[in-house]
Amino acid sequence: MKIVVAIKQVRERDAQVRIDAAGKWIEEGDLQFALNESDAYALEEALQLKEKSAAADGEVIVVSAGPERVGTTIREALAKGADRAIHIDCDDLGQRDALGVAHLLAAAIKPESPDLVLTGLQSEDLGLGQTGVILAELLGLPHATLILHVEKTETGLTVKRELEEGWFQSIDLPTPAVLTIQSGGNKLRYATLMGIKRAKTKEVRRVTAAELGVDTPPVVVLEQVTLPQKQKSTQILDGTAKEAAAALVEKLKFEVRVL
Amino acid sequence: MILLLPTLAEPQHFSLLEKLLFAGLAVASAYSFWRRFGLVLGKILQSKKDPSFHFFPIGKRVWDFVWEVLFQAKVIRERPLPGLAHAFVFWAFCAFALVTLNHCAVVLGLGFLSPEGQIGRLYFYFAAVFALACAVSILCLFVRRFLIRPKWLGENLSYQSGVIALLIFVLMATYLASFFVADASPSARTLWWIHTLALLTFLPLIPHTKHLHLVLSPATVFLSRGSFSQIPPLSGDEDFGLVAGTDLTRLVSLQAYSCVECGRCTEHCPAANTGKLLNPKEIVLGLRGYLNDLGPASAEPLLGKYNAQEAVFQCTTCGACEFQCPVGIEHLPILVGLRRGAVNTGSWADGQGTKLFLNLERGSNALGLSPAERDKFIEKAGLPLFDGTQEYCLWLGCMGGYDPKGREIVAAFARVMNYLGTSYGVLRKEKCTGDPVRRLGNDLLFQQLAEANLEALAQNKVKKIVSICPHCVRTIQEDWKEYGTPPEIEHHSEFLARYADKLPHQTSPGPSHLEKIVFHDPCYLGRYRNVYDQPRTVVALAGELIEAPRNHERSFCCGAGGGLAFLGEETGERVSHNRAAELVATGAQTIAAACPFCNTMFRDALAATGEAAPELMDIAQLAARGLPQSGAS
Repeated sequence: MKIVVAIKQVRERDAQVRIDAAGKWIEEGDLQFALNESDAYALEEALQLKEKSAAADGEVIVVSAGPERVGTTIREALAKGADRAIHIDCDDLGQRDALGVAHLLAAAIKPESPDLVLTGLQSEDLGLGQTGVILAELLGLPHATLILHVEKTETGLTVKRELEEGWFQSIDLPTPAVLTIQSGGNKLRYATLMGIKRAKTKEVRRVTAAELGVDTPPVVVLEQVTLPQKQKSTQILDGTAKEAAAALVEKLKFEVRVL
Repeated sequence: MILLLPTLAEPQHFSLLEKLLFAGLAVASAYSFWRRFGLVLGKILQSKKDPSFHFFPIGKRVWDFVWEVLFQAKVIRERPLPGLAHAFVFWAFCAFALVTLNHCAVVLGLGFLSPEGQIGRLYFYFAAVFALACAVSILCLFVRRFLIRPKWLGENLSYQSGVIALLIFVLMATYLASFFVADASPSARTLWWIHTLALLTFLPLIPHTKHLHLVLSPATVFLSRGSFSQIPPLSGDEDFGLVAGTDLTRLVSLQAYSCVECGRCTEHCPAANTGKLLNPKEIVLGLRGYLNDLGPASAEPLLGKYNAQEAVFQCTTCGACEFQCPVGIEHLPILVGLRRGAVNTGSWADGQGTKLFLNLERGSNALGLSPAERDKFIEKAGLPLFDGTQEYCLWLGCMGGYDPKGREIVAAFARVMNYLGTSYGVLRKEKCTGDPVRRLGNDLLFQQLAEANLEALAQNKVKKIVSICPHCVRTIQEDWKEYGTPPEIEHHSEFLARYADKLPHQTSPGPSHLEKIVFHDPCYLGRYRNVYDQPRTVVALAGELIEAPRNHERSFCCGAGGGLAFLGEETGERVSHNRAAELVATGAQTIAAACPFCNTMFRDALAATGEAAPELMDIAQLAARGLPQSGAS
């Protein structure tokens, strides 16, 4: 089975972000970057599918769009076990909307004719959650979202979707298909020294948007980025412990409505 | 005086039959020795060369050889009575070298020591003194092994050892008896033959039993890497640590064949003492078994049939085994090497371990917290930022920057430095030194962390570092060397001891009311850094220093080292509970620690023991306690 995993490099989880001078994006100079969390789970799912499969022709290809720095994240994915990579070279990811990014990915993925395309369900920076489903549309493939587990069957796939309030849904779908993966379905693996050394000899093909023939003007334009207003409304409950506890229950029930 | 003493009776003439018989037996004995010894030597020499091995500086090697082999200092120091008995056997063997050569030479009429001559006579008396001491010693050792039966020697009695002891006793007894029989008498001839037969039986037994250490361990001690827990750098693109037989180096193979199975490593091992699978002696014997069965060219994994992965990952890297070993086996490079092999190739899959690695791949600290938490602590504690003008960079470490108790230690130490007027600052950003991943064998992550930190320190022009964490101190000073030149670093106990006379003595109403404080030696400060007195100097400022039964280089681990603080629940008894119970039993009102990891382990252990637990303080907190309140920042 040939599996393509679309991954994104995002700023490190705990990074302190500052808005840039134009107010359109964050200052990137000082930041550390890492693999988007749900994409890491998508990669893990792909690697496990390949490892579980008895067929020797299994292949995992990672695709990522972004500037030069994306190379480190691609290497990490190769170190963890992906077989080769396609790096779509573009410095203007911020100016492209989800449709534009999906066009880039689709153009790179289509010639591979994969059996399965996996990607994280949303990115940690923009959190649009659309790229995967648009990608399915552009590739003309069926898709399923919020997937925690994938199993290969005789005819296609059985996937486990996460619903609200602890409910799950099991779906059968044919291949090829596109799945967007939810975090937490598997245990992630760590990068190893052997993986990094082996990754050095793995192929990373670099293509540009122009070479892919993609020139989609954005439909959605990012106007402004702002930091959320900090608001803290601490209330001190007076009285004895018993009175305070009663008051707390009251508030949790009727004001916050969590009980 | 000498003339009144009996003379050694030694037959001077041998028949042709006797000569032929002797020659035949000697050749058979030597052949049998070589058949096994040559095989062992071959396995050692066929092993991979040690890429980082250097003969020089040779002075230290010579000194270790003289001190540990010739003087038997380590053997005696760590187990005085059996050690001394062993030393007498060893010294007798040395003294007997000439006697034995002469003993064999007389058959051919080439004897060079004559019982009649002055020199020969003196030398035979000299050897007789040792023979007596040896005979008594070997009897005592026999009684110890077969009647007293210390559990460290293993559950099964070693009958080989019994045979060897008997042979040694026979050798000494026949020699001594020869002084009391008439020259050229049939008794003298009988004694000579018994002695000869014992000798020729003894020789081939050496390489077939653990007595191989007679031949190998002097070389093992001389050739050892030389410094404690020295983890060799990986070399080349295909070196991932100890994965298969092809990764065993000559030093590792030599050490595996040198083990004398005395069990000192096991006796002091925190894992073996708390019901875990790990037994350092068995790890070494497992490698020997692998070499015997498969050899150093095998691609079969080292972890599996011969050694269990579970056992290897139960090691706290406290180093008690390596410190104790009398034959120069370096357990830590072996244990860490096996871990490297498992982690660097991804064959170790442990939920908590993977979480630790992922935390450090993406984040900055082993606790998996946001760096913003560290920033908040720095601001709240009023710690100055390092700007290149201060004398010291105060290294917080993961525990000092993120752990509530670790932060208290840092704050207390900062108060003392403020009181002393020492200038210091903390780095704006700091990553874990990589200690837990270094000991767990993740070389990729360790290199990334070491390089990032070295770069940050160089950018900030840091010249001197002081830290409250012995793990940080060790890793920065020794382990980072593989990737650059770390700044000078010291542990806060060394800093505090230097200023002891400037710090207030916390005097009580009378000596009888002095607070009893027991000090726990952290492994990474004591055995790893050889710092024992400095923290005690600081403790003595605050009260009456008392010792736990296991102290100084015999201190018992808290259970946190080797990355184990971040792994899951232990099997068997918790190491921390074992040690905490020992510290509580001293009757001290206060337990003094000098490592934030020991501190956190004991905090949990003491909470589990219940009510009247002694107070637990770091030495920095003890020192800060005596400062005038105005000194507080």
